[in-house]
Amino acid sequence: MKSFIGRRAISSAVSLGGLIVLVFFLTRLTGDPTNLYLPLDAPMEARDNFRVLHGLNDPLIVQFGSYVYDVLHLDFGESIRKARPALEVVLEAFPWTLTLAVVTMGLVTLFAIIIGSLAAARVGGVFDRLSGIMSLIAASTPEFWVAIVGIFIFAVSLGWLPTSGTGTIWHWVLPITVLFIRPFGLILQVVRGSMISALSSPYVKTARAKGVRQRAIIFVHALRNGMLPVITVIGDQAAGMLNGAVVIETIFGFPGVGKLMIDSILQRDFSVVLASIMVTALAIFIMNLLIDLLYAVLDPRIRY
Amino acid sequence: MRNLFACMFGVAVSAMSAAPTFAASNDVTIVLSEDLDVMDPCMSSRSNIGRVILQNISETLTELDGSGGGLRPRLAQSWEAVDDLTWRFHLREGVKFTDGSSFDAEDVAYSLERATSPKLSCEIGAKYFGGIELTPKIIDAHTIDFTAKVGQPILPLLMSSLTIVPSGLSPDAFMRVPVGTGPYVFKSRAIGQNIVLTRNNDYWGEKPDVENATYIFRSDIAVRAAMVQTGEADIAPSISQEDANNSATDFSYPNSETLYLRLDNEIPPLNDRRVREALNLAIDRDAFRGTVLPKDVILASQLVPPTTMGWNPDVPVQPYDLMKAKALLAEAKADGVPVETELELVGRANMFPGSTETMEAILSMLQEAGFNASLRNFDVAEWVNMYTKPYAENRGPQLIEAQHDNAKGDPVFTMYWKYHSQGEQSTISDPTVDSLIEAATSATGEEREQLWKKVAAEVNDRILSDAVLFHMVGFSRVSERLDFKPTISTNSELQLAQIKIK
Repeated sequence: MKSFIGRRAISSAVSLGGLIVLVFFLTRLTGDPTNLYLPLDAPMEARDNFRVLHGLNDPLIVQFGSYVYDVLHLDFGESIRKARPALEVVLEAFPWTLTLAVVTMGLVTLFAIIIGSLAAARVGGVFDRLSGIMSLIAASTPEFWVAIVGIFIFAVSLGWLPTSGTGTIWHWVLPITVLFIRPFGLILQVVRGSMISALSSPYVKTARAKGVRQRAIIFVHALRNGMLPVITVIGDQAAGMLNGAVVIETIFGFPGVGKLMIDSILQRDFSVVLASIMVTALAIFIMNLLIDLLYAVLDPRIRY
Repeated sequence: MRNLFACMFGVAVSAMSAAPTFAASNDVTIVLSEDLDVMDPCMSSRSNIGRVILQNISETLTELDGSGGGLRPRLAQSWEAVDDLTWRFHLREGVKFTDGSSFDAEDVAYSLERATSPKLSCEIGAKYFGGIELTPKIIDAHTIDFTAKVGQPILPLLMSSLTIVPSGLSPDAFMRVPVGTGPYVFKSRAIGQNIVLTRNNDYWGEKPDVENATYIFRSDIAVRAAMVQTGEADIAPSISQEDANNSATDFSYPNSETLYLRLDNEIPPLNDRRVREALNLAIDRDAFRGTVLPKDVILASQLVPPTTMGWNPDVPVQPYDLMKAKALLAEAKADGVPVETELELVGRANMFPGSTETMEAILSMLQEAGFNASLRNFDVAEWVNMYTKPYAENRGPQLIEAQHDNAKGDPVFTMYWKYHSQGEQSTISDPTVDSLIEAATSATGEEREQLWKKVAAEVNDRILSDAVLFHMVGFSRVSERLDFKPTISTNSELQLAQIKIK
C-alpha cells in the first residue's frame, strides 16, 4: 500500500512538474501584461519601471529558473494585480470551491445511487422511465440558463431565496441545486446501468433463492459491486468541480478558485494562474488517490 | 421516490422562510462588479477602487464637481499661483486621519512622493503625475508650495486626483487597511464577499446621512440589477440597458466615455484624408441610437465631452452620406491610393454592453460603402498592446475600437496622449498639432480654451484623424428609499455623503 502511494506521488509530481513548465511558458506567450496594468496614459518611464519591478524585463529562461527556485522554497510569487502572495490569494478562494464540490457531489452521489438503484430494480417500469426522462433533462440543461431562471423565479418573483452571495445557508441552496443537476443526470444513468448488470449476476440470484429481502439485495449485495464504475465517474465529475464551477461562481458571486483562475488568465496574473493550477492539481491528486483506495475497500480482489 | 420528493419539498419549504434581508434604515448596500484588488488610496483612479475609497475614506486637496460646478476646495481651503511655476495651497486646519494622526503639509508632500514612487507603481502617480517634476516646499504646517519644472496651470485640477495619506505609511507596500481623512472609515473586509465602511465620527465636515455602507460584488449584470429589485442591495452603479426597465429606480447618466475608432493614420490607405472622410461618412451614427446602443448616447465630434473647457462647437459631427463616401473612395482610387487593401476592425470584447454588435454593424456599413474590411475581437490584454505604442512594424491598416474617459474638464488629459506625435496612442505626427498642444498645455484662462478649440479643429476637422462616434451613457439602479442621482463622476467615485435617505 505504502509503495503504491509512493509510486502515485512520484508520478503525480512528474505530471505536476510538466504542467508547471507548460503553463509557465504558455501564459508567457500571451505577452507582457504591463500595458494591461497601467493606465493608457502612463508614460513610458512608468511602464519601464513596472517591468523592472515585476521582473518582466528578464529573459524568459531566467524568469523560469527564478520561479522554479521560489516554488521549491514554497514561494509561489506575488499576484501582480492584488499585490499579495499568490498562494494566499488561491488558498482564500479554494475552500469555497471545495465546499461547493463536496456538498454537491455528496448530494449527487446520495440521490443518484438511491434513484438509480430503484430504477434498475424494475427495468422498464414507471419509475425507471421517469428517472430516465429526469436524467436526460438534467444532463442536457445548460447551467447558466438554469441559474438565471432560478434567480428570477425563486429570488426575484417569489422572494424565497437570496439572489446570490454567501452570507447564510439559504445562499447555498440555489448554487448547489444548479450545480447538482448535470452530474446527477449523468451519474444516475451510470448507477442504473451498473446496477442492472449487478442485479442479473449469479450471486444476486443465489441471494434471492435464499429468500433475502429485495431491499437488502439491492442496497447491500448488488450496490457494493455496482459502485466501482460509478465511483470512477463521480471522481471525474468531482475533478471538474475542483477546477472551479466558473459559471456558478460568477453568477452567484462565490469567490471560488474557478473564477479566480479565469480572471487571472484574462489579467495575465501569472503567479496566481500557476498557484491555482498547483493547488487544484494537488487536490485532484489526493482525490484520485482516495478513489483508488476506495476501489480496494469495495472490491477485496483489488490489492495494491 | 416519495421520500425524495418529500426531502426536496422540505428544503424548498424551509427556504421559503428566508426572506431577503433589507438593510437597516441608515445603512446602504452597494453592489459592484468586482472585489477590490488592492485597497490603497493611490490606486483609486481605478473605477471600483475609487467608488469605495475616493472621497469616502480618502480625500483630495481639491474636488471637481461632477454636476458641472467646477473645482472646489476639499482638504485645501484655497490656492493661488505664486509665479508661473509655483502653486501655493492653504490647507484645512483641525483635520485628523482615521488613524488619529493630524493632517498637515508634510502629509501632502509625502502623498505625492508615495504616489509617484517607482517602488509602488501607483496608478494615480502614473496617470496624472507621470512625467511632471514637482518639488514640494512646506511653508508652514498648513501651507505648501509645489514648484514645477515646466509651468503646470492645471495643478489645482491635478490635485483633485491625489489622495492624501498620512506621512508615516510604508513607501513600498500597498495598504491593506486604507487610512484617510474622509467621512467614512474602513470597518471590515471579507475578501471576495464584502467591504464595510462606517461613518467617521471625527470627520471635519458635515455629518452624512448614511451610517454604514456595505459593498458586495457580483460579476453578472442581471444579478446586480435583481439585487436592488429584491432589496438585497440599494445601489447598482453599473447595469445594462436591457435591465434598466424601471423608471422609478433606473437612471441613465453620461459616463464620460467617448466611443471612437482610432484610425491608423500612418498606414495606407488610412494615411489619405479622403479615405478617412469616406470612412466617417459611411457610418450611420443615428442608426445606433435606441437600437444597438441606448437612445441617450450623444453623437460626438471630438473625444472630450461637451462639458469640457475647450470643446469646439464648430467641429461638426460627421454626417451619414453614402454617395459621397463612395465618390471619395473612387477619387482616392483614381489617384493610386490602395483603397482595396483590407482594413482590420479591431474590437475589444465586452468593452461595453452591445460592443460586439456595434462593431458588426460598423463592419456592415463600411462594406456597403465599398471598403474591404474584416472584424476581429480581442481580449483586453491583446487589444491594449495594439492600441498603445510601440505599434507592430508589419501591421496592416487598423481601425481600433476604443473608449476614452475624460471627466476632468480639461482636454490636456486627452490631446497629448491621443494626438501629439509623442503620445502613447497617437498615430499622427503633425508639427502644427504638436505645437498647439504644447502651447495649450502651458496656457491659462481664455487663451487655453481657445488653443484647445484650435487643437480640436485641427485633429477632428482638418486632419480628421479618427472616426469619433458617441458620448456614451451608463445605467444605474438606485433603491426608491434613497435620494441619489448618478452623475458623470459615478464611473470613478461614489460619494456616500451625497446619498440621502428618504
